[in-house]
Amino acid sequence: MDEKEIGIYEDVLEFISLGLSHILKRIPDTSKSKVEEIRLRYGAPLNIYISNSDYFVTEEGRLTTEASQGRIVGKKDIMETFQLISNYSVYAFEEEMKNGFITLKGGHRVGLGGKVLYGVNGIETIKDISSLNIRIAREKRGVSEKLIKFITDGPNKVYNTLIVSPPQCGKTTMLRDLIRILSNGDRLLGLRGMKVGVIDERFELAGVYNGMPQFDIGMRTDVLAGCNKRDGTIMLIRAMSPDVIAMDEIGSIHDVEAIHEAIKAGIRILATIHGDDLDDLISKRSLKILLEEKVFKRYIFLDNSKGVGTVKDIIDGNTFKSIYK
Amino acid sequence: MPLVKLFGSILIIISTSLIGFYYGGKYTDRLSNLIYLEQCFKILETEIVYGANPLPEALTNVYKKGNKKVSFVFKEISDHLKANKNGDLFQSFYSVVGILRNSLSLKDEDIELFLSLGRVLGSSDRKDQEKNFNFLFKQISVLQREAKIEKDKNEKLYKNLGILSGITILIILL
Repeated sequence: MDEKEIGIYEDVLEFISLGLSHILKRIPDTSKSKVEEIRLRYGAPLNIYISNSDYFVTEEGRLTTEASQGRIVGKKDIMETFQLISNYSVYAFEEEMKNGFITLKGGHRVGLGGKVLYGVNGIETIKDISSLNIRIAREKRGVSEKLIKFITDGPNKVYNTLIVSPPQCGKTTMLRDLIRILSNGDRLLGLRGMKVGVIDERFELAGVYNGMPQFDIGMRTDVLAGCNKRDGTIMLIRAMSPDVIAMDEIGSIHDVEAIHEAIKAGIRILATIHGDDLDDLISKRSLKILLEEKVFKRYIFLDNSKGVGTVKDIIDGNTFKSIYK
Repeated sequence: MPLVKLFGSILIIISTSLIGFYYGGKYTDRLSNLIYLEQCFKILETEIVYGANPLPEALTNVYKKGNKKVSFVFKEISDHLKANKNGDLFQSFYSVVGILRNSLSLKDEDIELFLSLGRVLGSSDRKDQEKNFNFLFKQISVLQREAKIEKDKNEKLYKNLGILSGITILIILL
């Protein structure tokens, strides 16, 4: 398992300029398998995040918390890395750059910082790239298996479920794995495969690269990448007859409308949202409606108290009582 | 003995003519290669502006679609790009300068134009790339015109010079 994780890290290094990737290749193997983010900022020391804590990387590939010892990232490093990331073809990533990031082969995402240029139709492009945030996507197959029995009722019925957690706690990973299991079905869990429609507004769930999902999201899954939730829901209902619609990061009033549309059509919803606990959800105006209408039957709360993706609690949406453990 | 003389004279005339044709032919080569190069640029423009294909792929496509006499250069660049992951497209363009000069008979100004493409290619959005290509087409047509004039002027000159210098040598020797 570890070797595969190291392999993923080294694949990502292919997209980093030689000067930096030589250094990053030298960090200890035990750390390689846990790197979450590699951050390049013009004029600042090379910075990586491992298990939620940050380190600087020295010229010799040593990890340190001492900023002064870190290898300073230069303009050339950023430019070369950007060339590799965009495959020497900025024009091919025009649309993606408007969203502020580029998806790499393997589903990894690179966030861009720089000078944003506006055109007639909103953001046109980003120029003078000054920082790059390479987020290493790690597929965690099977992390949601233990949740299946809480959110399903019978072989092809799933409750409307909302996954709630603060950022960087594994919401999207959890949702992606749920999609995979529901879509493939699982004989051991007594689950028949369902048609799942995924609205992947931020290209995170399926990690589509060149039209091909980079993550295993199951064999009965249809993806609408880059589509907003309201349009996506209507498109899926009309054309794809899904049993379940999955969406990431709901929150706006339009998302609530989308969910209402889906429910009207008898489709089940899987969604995620930023938040800490139930009170936090109630304080969000749009979510309050959904809570009061008891749309969601299960709320799954995640945190990182015992590592990323720890299930804190599962709450029944009708009684608002915990059903976990 | 006269037979040997005749054979020697023919040999001298053939070899000097060949030298003349070789130098004269360079002018024809340059012109036709510039025309092929323009075709390749047009294919590349389509690949980028309409196809939005990433460069390594776009360059390979130019190789496949273009006239192989010139388009193999683009394959060289694409291969260089894939092999050297140093994030510098210009280096990959620069790596084929020798081929351009020696095998394609291009002159320094043609090569400079070619390299200027390597400086801007892929570094901006499609609209901007299109502008750069239009600029490139204008410049290459200027070079083609110049190559044509030079060809008309020099090709015949070198060819005649070859034959005539053969004859001159013969006269001196005989």
